[in-house]
Amino acid sequence: MGSSPPVPGRQAADRRVRGRRARGRSPWRGYVYVLPAFAVYFAFAVLPALHTAYLSLFEWDGVTLGDWVGLGNYAEILQDPVLRRSVFNALVLVVFFSFVPIVLGLLSTGLLARYRRPGMGAYRFLFMLPQVVPLVAVGVTWRWLYGDDGVVNQVFRAVGLDGVTRAWLGDFGAALIAVGLVGTWVLSGLCMMLFLSGVQKVDPSLYEAARIDGAGPIREFVSVTLPHLRGELAVAMTVTTVAALASFDIVYVTTNGGPGEQTTVPGLLVYRLAFSEGKVGLAAALAVVLGCLILGIVYLINRLSRSQT
Amino acid sequence: MRDSTHRVRRRVAAAVCAVALVLPLAACEALTPGSATAVPGPTSVPSSTAVPDGDVTLRLQFADAPLMVDALIAAFEEKHPGIEVEPQYKTFSDYVQNLKLTMTSDTAPDIAQYAVGMTDLAADGHVLDLAPYREAYGWDEAVPPVSLDQLTAGRTSEATGGRALFGVPAGLSMTGIYYNRELARRAGIDSPPRTLAEFEEQLAAAKEADLTPLGVGALDSGGLHLWAALLNQLMPTDEYWDWVNGRKGATMENPAAVEASELMVEWGRKGYYSESANGTAQVDSTARFAEGDSVFLINGNWAAGQLAAVMGDGVGFFPMPGERAGSPTVASGFSVSYAVSSLTEHPEAAGVFLDFLTSPEAGQIIGDNGFLPPNPDAVGKPAGVLADIARGHRRAVADDGITTFPDFAAPAMLDRLRSGVQKLIADRIGPAEYLDSLQDEWEDHHGK
Repeated sequence: MGSSPPVPGRQAADRRVRGRRARGRSPWRGYVYVLPAFAVYFAFAVLPALHTAYLSLFEWDGVTLGDWVGLGNYAEILQDPVLRRSVFNALVLVVFFSFVPIVLGLLSTGLLARYRRPGMGAYRFLFMLPQVVPLVAVGVTWRWLYGDDGVVNQVFRAVGLDGVTRAWLGDFGAALIAVGLVGTWVLSGLCMMLFLSGVQKVDPSLYEAARIDGAGPIREFVSVTLPHLRGELAVAMTVTTVAALASFDIVYVTTNGGPGEQTTVPGLLVYRLAFSEGKVGLAAALAVVLGCLILGIVYLINRLSRSQT
Repeated sequence: MRDSTHRVRRRVAAAVCAVALVLPLAACEALTPGSATAVPGPTSVPSSTAVPDGDVTLRLQFADAPLMVDALIAAFEEKHPGIEVEPQYKTFSDYVQNLKLTMTSDTAPDIAQYAVGMTDLAADGHVLDLAPYREAYGWDEAVPPVSLDQLTAGRTSEATGGRALFGVPAGLSMTGIYYNRELARRAGIDSPPRTLAEFEEQLAAAKEADLTPLGVGALDSGGLHLWAALLNQLMPTDEYWDWVNGRKGATMENPAAVEASELMVEWGRKGYYSESANGTAQVDSTARFAEGDSVFLINGNWAAGQLAAVMGDGVGFFPMPGERAGSPTVASGFSVSYAVSSLTEHPEAAGVFLDFLTSPEAGQIIGDNGFLPPNPDAVGKPAGVLADIARGHRRAVADDGITTFPDFAAPAMLDRLRSGVQKLIADRIGPAEYLDSLQDEWEDHHGK
C-alpha cells in the first residue's frame, strides 16, 4: 500500500470525467438498458427453444435416462408417413385459415370502405366476436353443429338435401374441410377488422379523386384500397398462417386427428408424442421442424410485402 | 426423519433441474434428460398396517366414475374420521396424457388411478409396491387373484419376493354387447347368440328388418373395443397376453388377427354399423342406443348404469360369443384400480383406504354404480341388465377369459388402434396394413 490516501475533491472530479467519457463513447451503454428485457426474453423464450432443440437429439421417454441419438429423430420424421401426412394437412388448413379469411376480409372491406358510414365501430366489434371466444369452446360448439343431429345436418334436411347429411367430423372426405371451415369462421373476423381499420387511414379525397376520374368500385378497390392495405395484409397473412400451421386446440377438441389420420396436424402430434406416447425427443424434433417451417414462411411473407413497397 | 431426507432430495432434484435448464448446451453427463429425475423414497410400502394417529389428508387423483369415488370416500371417511381423502377428478384423456408428468412431479397425489404408463412408473420407482399389504391385509381372499395379477406390472416384489402389486382394484370392467329387447324382437331375434356365426346372422336379420344393427362409438375407443372383442374369440388368449405384455417374439401379424380385422371390414361393407360410427364418441353412441337407434351396441359395463336408468328392463347384455357354442367366454376388461405414489408421506393411511375398497360395504357402492365389485359374493344380487353383466363376468372369470385392452401393449398403441379401426370401418385399409402398423408400434416400444 504505497499510495497516499486519495483526496476527496479530486476523486469526485475523476468520477465526473469518467462519467462524461462513458456517455460520449461507450457503445455498450444502450445494451444496458435493453438488458432487463433481454434477460426476460432470453430466459423464457430463447432458452426453452434451445432446450427443445437439445432434447430433440435424444431418445427420451420423459422419465428415465435419455439416449443420445443425434439427428436420428429428424430422420424418423422424414420417414414416418403419419408425420408427413400431418404436415400436408397443416398446409391444407392454411387455405382455410389464411387464404379464405383474407379473401373474405378484402371483399367485405371493398364493400364497406367506399363510404364513411356511422357505426363502423359496431361492425368491427361484431367481426371481432369470434376472436373473443376461447378456441376450445369454439371447437366444442362446432362439434355439436357438425354432429349427426347437429344444426348443419338439420339445415341440409330442411332444404331437402337428406343425401348430403353425415357425421361431418367422422367422414374421411369431409373431416379436414369441416375443421378448416371452423378456422375460417374464427379468423375471417380478424382479417375484416384489420382491413377495416387499415382503410380508415386512407385519405377520403383519394376516393373522391378516383371517382372523379371515373373509376368504378373495382378499379377503386384495386387502385386505392388494396395498395394502402399492404401492411395489414402482411400482418393478416402472418397471423393466420401461423394459426394454421401451429393449430392444435380446434383439432384436438373436434376430431382428435381422426378419422384415420385425416385431420392429424403437427401440433397435435407434438402433444401426443411428448405427453402420451413418451417420445419426448421425437416430439421436440417435430416441434423444431414445425418452428423452422413457420419461421421460414413468415420470413417469406415479410420479404414479399417489403419488396413491393 | 424420512420426511426431512425427502425434502432434501427434492431440493437437490429441483436444483439439478434448474442447472439443466440454465446450461442446456454445456454437454456433460448430468444434462442427459432424465438424469435429474431422482427416484424418491422407498419403492415399497412398510409392512405395518397400523392406522395412523392424528389427522391425515390423502389426495386422490382419478379419471373414472366420479360418483362412485365420491360415495366411496364418504363411506370411508365415516369409518375413519382421522383420514380425509381429497378427490381430484380429471377427464380420462387428460389424466392418461399427463399421468407421467403428474406422478414424477414433486406434487404427485398420494393415490392415483392405475392406467397405461403405470408399468414404466413402477419400473422407475414412482409408485409403491403394495405386495407387503397383499399379505398383511389378506387381499388374496377378498379379490379374485386374476384381478390382482393384472396389476403386477410384470415384476417381482423386492419386499416379499413374490409377485409385485402396484394397485388395488375397486370396480372391475368388461366389454360386451348390449341389445334392445324391443328392436331385437322386431328383427325376429329371440335370444342372445351362442356363437359368433349366430351373432352375424342376427346382425343380418336386423339389417333385413331395416334397423341399424350395431351401434359403435368409434370416434374414441368404441371401435377398438369391437375389434378386441372379435380378436378375443379368434386368437388364442395366451398369445394375446404375450403380445400385450410385450413378450419377446410376440406378434399381431397372425391369421387370427387378420380374420378379426377382415370381419370388421366386412361388417362395414354390409352396413352393420351405425352410419356415423367414426364421428360418434362412445358416450354419444350409448345415448343414441338408449333412444332406440340400433339393435345392438358395443360398449363396456360402465355404460350399464346409464342404460338401465333409461331403458329399464328393455336392455340386455351378453359377452361377445365364441366360435363354437362350447368356447370359453373371453372378454376384454380391466379394473378401476388405485396406485400409491412413492412420494406419499402417509403410505399407511393409503393402505387403510385401499383395504377399505375390498370391503363388502365398498363392494355394494361399487355395484350400485354399475361396476363389478371385486368380490361378487359379498354383495346383494343385482337385477336387470346388471345381472346379465354379472353373469357374463362370472363366466369369463371362471374361464380365465378376462383379457386387458389392447392399448396396454404400448403407450402409443391407443392412437394406432383408434385411427386404424376407423379406417377398417370405412374400408380404407386392408387388415394386413393395419396389423403391420400395430406391430411396428409394438416393436418400437418392446424391440423385436
